[in-house]
Amino acid sequence: MKQQSNETKFFFGSFGEADECLFDYLHAEVVNYVIGQNSIVKDGDEDISKLEWMGFAVGYRVIERLTREWVRFKDELDMIKFICTDFWSSLYQKQIDNLKTNHHGTYVLQDNAFRLLSNISGNEQYLKESPRLLAFTCGLLRGSLANLGIVSVVKAEISCLPSCKFHVEVQRV
Amino acid sequence: MTIHNLYIFSRTGVLLHYAEWNRQNKSGITNEEESKLMYGMLFSIKSFVNKISPLDPKEGFLYYKTSKYTLHYLETPTGLKFVLNTDNQSQNVRELLQQLYSQVYLEYVVKNPICPMNEPIQSELFKLKVDELMKKSPIFLNRSL
Repeated sequence: MKQQSNETKFFFGSFGEADECLFDYLHAEVVNYVIGQNSIVKDGDEDISKLEWMGFAVGYRVIERLTREWVRFKDELDMIKFICTDFWSSLYQKQIDNLKTNHHGTYVLQDNAFRLLSNISGNEQYLKESPRLLAFTCGLLRGSLANLGIVSVVKAEISCLPSCKFHVEVQRV
Repeated sequence: MTIHNLYIFSRTGVLLHYAEWNRQNKSGITNEEESKLMYGMLFSIKSFVNKISPLDPKEGFLYYKTSKYTLHYLETPTGLKFVLNTDNQSQNVRELLQQLYSQVYLEYVVKNPICPMNEPIQSELFKLKVDELMKKSPIFLNRSL
């Protein structure tokens, strides 16, 4: 019996991984489903706006629960900081590695080992396919900011896997 | 101690991955033919062992040994087959194969949505990690024989 429990540990690495990989596998399937749905590819770009909207809806709801025990945020930067630390670590088990801002509504969030990309490639391979893995997260950011009262445009940039940057541009009315 | 080569087969016998490190004797046939031959032999050994076993075979076939090398075999419940050829002195190869499965195959193939399952593995990162794991292992001692 003891032997068996050892073996289980071997196969699954660490305990409590099941909940993490559930999201990974579900996300992967959602991505593959959406990609498979649109057979028309225009100018070599895949239509990933559906994924982005899914992320938006999820982010909009998630932020509601994550902030329930928080006091009100001071300003915009405070909210972005919350996104970089608590929000990110509750979703991806790590914090954003680098945050840059021009103090005029543009923020660059850099993750050097993004969870959804870290198992894909360590070099240029799959660079073309990787935007589809980021669309959901872009929407997630946009949705959560929207529920905090910030209307924004979020874009992702990948130069070398598995690191990526999210550009958040706040739209001032 | 040395590691010679590695085969990973899917449940249906597709060669998912092949790597070699220290192989002096080439089989003289193409990789495809060789993998078919290998899979056929493993299949036969497995059913032979299960049939001939006087007791409950449990895990069944584990390894075989010749005067020159040992072939280690690990089959997961899903039918994935890991085959590693080493020399006769190597220890704990089974552990290494289990690591290969849980730390490399699961992480870099199963968790890679772009990598289709049950097809030859294209991912460069996977190949790199396999190489890393093998070279890190104490069994791997690159010395010319």
